Amino acid sequence: MSELARAIEALLFISPEPLDQATLVEITIESPAEIGRAIDEIRARHGADTGLELAEVAGGWALRTRPDLAPVCDRLRARPREDRLSPAALETLAVVAYLEPVTRREIGRLRGVDVDSTVTSLLERGLIEEADRDQPNGPMRYQTTTHFLQRFGLARRGDLPTLERFELTGPEAKAILSRLQQAELIAEAETGDT
Amino acid sequence: MSALTASAALTQRVEIDLFQGPFDLLLTLLLRDEVDLLELPLADLVEESVTPGQDERWDLDAASQLVLLLAAMADLKGRRMLGEDVEDEPDVDAIAMREALSARLVAYAPFQRAAAWLADRLRAAEGPRYRRVPPGTATPVPVTDDPARLRAAMHKMVEAPPVPSLDHMGVARRPLPELLGRLRESIARLREVSFDAMVRDCDRLEEALTLLAALELVRRGEADLRQDVPFGDILITATR
Repeated sequence: MSELARAIEALLFISPEPLDQATLVEITIESPAEIGRAIDEIRARHGADTGLELAEVAGGWALRTRPDLAPVCDRLRARPREDRLSPAALETLAVVAYLEPVTRREIGRLRGVDVDSTVTSLLERGLIEEADRDQPNGPMRYQTTTHFLQRFGLARRGDLPTLERFELTGPEAKAILSRLQQAELIAEAETGDT
Repeated sequence: MSALTASAALTQRVEIDLFQGPFDLLLTLLLRDEVDLLELPLADLVEESVTPGQDERWDLDAASQLVLLLAAMADLKGRRMLGEDVEDEPDVDAIAMREALSARLVAYAPFQRAAAWLADRLRAAEGPRYRRVPPGTATPVPVTDDPARLRAAMHKMVEAPPVPSLDHMGVARRPLPELLGRLRESIARLREVSFDAMVRDCDRLEEALTLLAALELVRRGEADLRQDVPFGDILITATR
């Protein structure tokens, strides 16, 4: 391994946060290209047969344990029980991740329900944060956090499949309309006078 | 969200003379008046759709939904045959509402699928562990090399807290029996005393207690009260 790769490996080992390129450039006084090569060296060194892996997460690089070692790692350090995210929380999170920065009202309009409590709980869990206001005195807009990227293993903000990939096809959209018609018919039958 | 999930009842295939195909298609055609409800052999349809196949079993939800739909059809057909006024004209509001709801569901569906993708992602990202506590940042336990100071500091923990003082609450109270005795003594000596004179140097509480004592004497039949003018002085007179 090159001297630079050794240095960066040491930095990644002691850092509690992922280190981004700018930080590494600043500390090592090397060019981004050199750092990129060193990162590749470190990645190659930590193969599947080792205990650590180099991961690109939350806008930087981090040395972390390999997923299959989770059970033994948890025997050393009890893992804080991750609170389960409800479907409503996940859907709200998806809306924020794709449309950020986005206001509560915009989220609510899309979801068709009041989202105040869901947004508050996501804020408390540190998965979203206040971003800015569109205009002075305007409503607060929200965005996802670094913690969100870490927890979902995303390399950077916007590291998501395109939303188009999830769109309904024509027949699927038509099916929704016809199911609504059927649902109305059922509702009519249930409440209809005899 | 149930509107998004296919129901077993609706995808059930039916085969009657008039129509062969999935049940929901028949329903759609009926709703669009492309199949005339009056011509639909309802009995055949019921027999066809409610009789399970050789080796399939119905689940309760699917069966009940189907029965409900068939009942709705029978109801509608019955009314049409009797020439009852059935709303043939489609309700414009209902259609607009349905279309708006459908558009909203279609617009929202990608986010629901994105949420499912995120959930998968969350499961996949559960394995790796990161360094959490950076070395050297834990706050050191404060130690002092002076045992006397340590003892002085710890002594505060075992000291009994001071008893709270009630001095500020020091209102001399005259208990009712004492006032009663004083009043009884006064009227025994003077036959008649003025209430105002009795409470001349008393505070409001003693004044109230004196009045209670006077009333108590009246109740026991030892005194009479007389007040000549409203809010005026009260004369307490001995009865014996």
